[in-house]
Amino acid sequence: MSENIIIVMIGISTLLGATGLAALLWGVKTGQFDDKSKFIDAARFDNEEELRDAAMMEEKKKARKQKQQDKKKNYMPAD
Amino acid sequence: MAQIACTHCNLKFDESVMITEEAPHGETHYFCCKGCQGVYHLLESEGLGTFYDKLGDTTLQPATPHSDDLEKFDLEGFKNKYIKIHDDGLYEINLIIEGIHCSACVWLNEKVLHKTEGVIEASINYSTNKAKVVWDPEEIALSKIIETIRSIGYNAYPYDPALQEERAVKTRKEYYSRILVAIFGSMNIMWIAIAHYAGYFGGMEQRFKNILNVAEFILATPVLFYSGWVFFRGAYYGYKNKIVNMDTLVASGALSAYLYSIYAMLTQQGEVYFDSVTMIITFVLVGKYLEVLSKKHAVDTLDAIMGSTPTEVTVVKDKTKALVSVENVQLGDIIELKPGEKVVIDGLLTHGEGSFDESSLTGESEPVLKHPGDTILSGSICLDSVVRYEATKEASDSLLHTIVNLLEESITKKPRIEQLADRVSGYFSTVILLIALLTFGGWWLFSSSFEQALIIGISVIVIACPCALGLATPMATLVGISVAAKHNILFKEAGFLETMAKSDFLALDKTGTITEGRPSVVHEETYKTYDKHLLYALVSTSTHPVAEGIRRYLEKEEASFTPLTLEKIKTIQAKGIEAQYGDTHLAGGNALMMEAMGISCDDSTEHTLFYFAIDGRKVARFELSDTIREGAKEAIAQIRQMGVRVVMLTGDHETSANRVAQAVGIDEVNAHLLPQDKARFIEEAQEAGHITVMAGDGINDAVALAQSNIAIAMGSGADVAISVSDVVLMDEQPQSIYDAYRISKRTYRAVKENLSFSLLYNTVAVPLAMAGFVTPLVAALSMSLSSLIVVGNSMRIRMLKK
Repeated sequence: MSENIIIVMIGISTLLGATGLAALLWGVKTGQFDDKSKFIDAARFDNEEELRDAAMMEEKKKARKQKQQDKKKNYMPAD
Repeated sequence: MAQIACTHCNLKFDESVMITEEAPHGETHYFCCKGCQGVYHLLESEGLGTFYDKLGDTTLQPATPHSDDLEKFDLEGFKNKYIKIHDDGLYEINLIIEGIHCSACVWLNEKVLHKTEGVIEASINYSTNKAKVVWDPEEIALSKIIETIRSIGYNAYPYDPALQEERAVKTRKEYYSRILVAIFGSMNIMWIAIAHYAGYFGGMEQRFKNILNVAEFILATPVLFYSGWVFFRGAYYGYKNKIVNMDTLVASGALSAYLYSIYAMLTQQGEVYFDSVTMIITFVLVGKYLEVLSKKHAVDTLDAIMGSTPTEVTVVKDKTKALVSVENVQLGDIIELKPGEKVVIDGLLTHGEGSFDESSLTGESEPVLKHPGDTILSGSICLDSVVRYEATKEASDSLLHTIVNLLEESITKKPRIEQLADRVSGYFSTVILLIALLTFGGWWLFSSSFEQALIIGISVIVIACPCALGLATPMATLVGISVAAKHNILFKEAGFLETMAKSDFLALDKTGTITEGRPSVVHEETYKTYDKHLLYALVSTSTHPVAEGIRRYLEKEEASFTPLTLEKIKTIQAKGIEAQYGDTHLAGGNALMMEAMGISCDDSTEHTLFYFAIDGRKVARFELSDTIREGAKEAIAQIRQMGVRVVMLTGDHETSANRVAQAVGIDEVNAHLLPQDKARFIEEAQEAGHITVMAGDGINDAVALAQSNIAIAMGSGADVAISVSDVVLMDEQPQSIYDAYRISKRTYRAVKENLSFSLLYNTVAVPLAMAGFVTPLVAALSMSLSSLIVVGNSMRIRMLKK
C-alpha cells in the first residue's frame, strides 16, 4: 500500500468535514442559531411564499438605497 | 348550551354570547368579541388567512383594544432612550412582543411587519419573544409600527438591550464557534488515533505513522490555539494576578503535550499526544460554555420584568389629570391608580382605600387592604379600586427599581467559594511545572544531552497532567448530577454540588417553600344543606386566593360541576362577592361581609374564615389556612442533624411565622422582611463565615437567592427565582432539600477520593518519569488504568440509598 492513498483518503475526508465546519461557523456568525425554537419551528412555514417575502424585503432595502443615492445626486445647497 | 370556539382566538364560549357572521361559502364564523372579529377580517383582507391553519388548536388571548398612549413613542426622550440610529439614517429598536403563544403568532407578526411600508427588517426570537425592528423614519413613525402590532391583537413594548444582553449574546456566539472547532478537531483526531493505537500494538511502519502524525498535527493546531484561546487568556490573567488556576494547568499541560508531540513528530521518535491535547481542551471548554448559557437566561427574564412595568403614571395636579413619565414625577405629586395597575413609585395613600397584591414583595398571596395613611410600595398591584397617593420617593429610589438593580448586580457578582479541585490543581500544576523544570535542568547538567533532558522534562508534564486529575472532579460531579436528577433535583452546574456539600447554613422562605403558598380548606361546617353548585359558581367568579382555595376543595370533593350563569356579580373589596342566580341571592365572604348583611358571626379562629349565605341566611362556613408541605418537619430535622443551621426568613408577620416555625421545628425566625432585607441577612451570614444555601420561590426571594452561595428554587416558582437559582426542585418537596444535601455530600466525598488517588498515582509516576524510566507503553497503560479507577470510584455514588 502506498502512502499516497492514505494521504488522499485522510485529506479528502478531513476537507469534507472542514467544509461542513465552515458552514456551521458561517451560520453562527450570521446569527442563524441565535433562536433555537425558530430553528426547529420555522422550518414548517418555509415555502414559496416565504421566499417571495424575503425577496420583497431585499427589494425594499435596495429601493431605499436607490432613493438615498438619488437624494445625494439631486442635493442642492439652499442659498 | 353548546360551547363554540371563537374563529380568531379559539377560546370556547356559549353560543348565545358569540357574535355570529355568515361567511360567503356558507360557513358561519363565531367571534367572542369585536376585537377578535376585527383582527380576523384584517388578516383575511391582507391575504394572511393561512395563519389559522398554522395556528391549529392553540388558543390566543382575545384581542382587546389598547389605551391611546401611542404618541409617547414619537417623543424625543423616548427616541434617545431606546432607538439606535444606523449610519445610513435607519432606526432600530428592540421590542418585547406580548401575547405570543406559538410559532404561528411569530410568523404572523413578522409577516405583518414585513408588509408594512418603510419597515426594512423585522425578526422575532421564538423563545424570548424579543423583536428587532429596523425602519426608515422618513416613511413611517414608530407609533405607527406599534399600532400595526396592536391592530392584530398583540402588544409591544420597548426594552434596552444595550448592556447585558448584547454582551451575553456575543460571548455565547464566541463559545459556540470555539466549541464547534474543538469538537470537529477532536472527533477527527479520534479516528486517526484509533489507527495509531492499532498500529502501536500491531506494528506499523514509520512512514505511515508520519502521515497520521502530520494529519493529527494539522487538526490539533486550530483546536489548541483557537478553541483553547480562553485558557491561555485565563492563564495570562492568572499570571498577572499571581494566581495559578485551572486555566494555567490546562494551558500549560496542553501546550507542553503539543510541543512534545511536534518534537516527536519531527524526530520520528516516540509517541505523539495530539489526541489528549484536543480532548482536554474540548471537555473543559464545554463545561465553561454551560456556565455562559445559564447567565444568558437570567438576563432574558430580567428584561421582561422591567419591560412590563409602566413607564408613565397618572398625576393629578390642580384637579386635572396628566400622564407623566415616571422619571419626571416629583416628591409630593399625587398619583392616581386604577384597578389592575402596577405601582412603580413608593408613596403614602391619601384618598380612597383598596386591596393591594403585594405577593411579589412579601410572597403572601392574600391581598392587603390599605387605608389612607398607609404606605404603598412599588411592585405591588392595585386590585379593585381607584385610589390616589402621594409620591414619597422618586422612581429610581423606589423599591421595585432597587430590587431590579440589585438583581442585575448580583447576577454578575455572585459570590463563589473557591472550588477544591481548582485549588488542588492550582498547587499541583505549580509543583509539576517546577519538578519538570528541575528534571530538565538536572538531566541537562548530568547527562549533558539537551535532547534527552527535554524529552524527559516534557514527559514529566505529560504523564502528570491529563487524565486522572482532570477527570477526578468532572466524573464524580457528573454522576452526582444524574443521581440528583433522578430524585427530581436539578443542579444547574457541576460546581454547585461541591459548594452545597460545604454549606453549613440554610435559610428557608416560609410561603411557598415550607408551606404550599396558598390557602386550603382545613375545616368545613354546614349549618343547612344547600346546593354546592351555587357555591361553586360563586367562587368561580373570583380569582381571590380564598375563593380559589374553596374552588379546589369543592373540585376535590365532587368530580364535576355544571356551570351556572350568575348575574349581577359584584366584588366587595376586602369582604367578599355577591351575585344573583334566578331569584336566589348568593353571598360569600368574611365576617365583615356577613355583618354588613345583618348576619351575626362570633367565631374566633386563627384561620381565615369564609362564609356562604343564600338569601341572607348563612348556610356554611369554611376555615382556610396555608398548609405546611408534607414531610417538612422530618426533612428539617434531618438537615439539622447534618450540622446545618436552619433559619426561616419571611415577609409575613411574626405570629403566623412563629406558628409555622414551631410546627416544623425551626428556632430562628426572621419575620417582616422586605426582599432586600432577606438579601442583607444572607450577606451578614456570609460575612460571619458561613456558606449559605437559600431556598425560596418568589420574586421577593430573588435578590436573596442571587446573593446566596447556593440558591434553591421550587419548580413552580416565579421565573426570576428559577433563573437566578442554582438548584431547582421539580417535585417541590422539602425532603428534596435534604436529598440535595445528601447527594452533594456524597459526591464531594467521591471527588476527594478521586483527587487523593490521582495525587497518589502521580507521586509514583512522576518520580519514575523523572528518572527517565517512562516508556510510551508504560505511560499509555498507566494513564488508562488510572482513569478507569477514577471512573469506577465515581460510579459508586449511584449506590446511594433512596
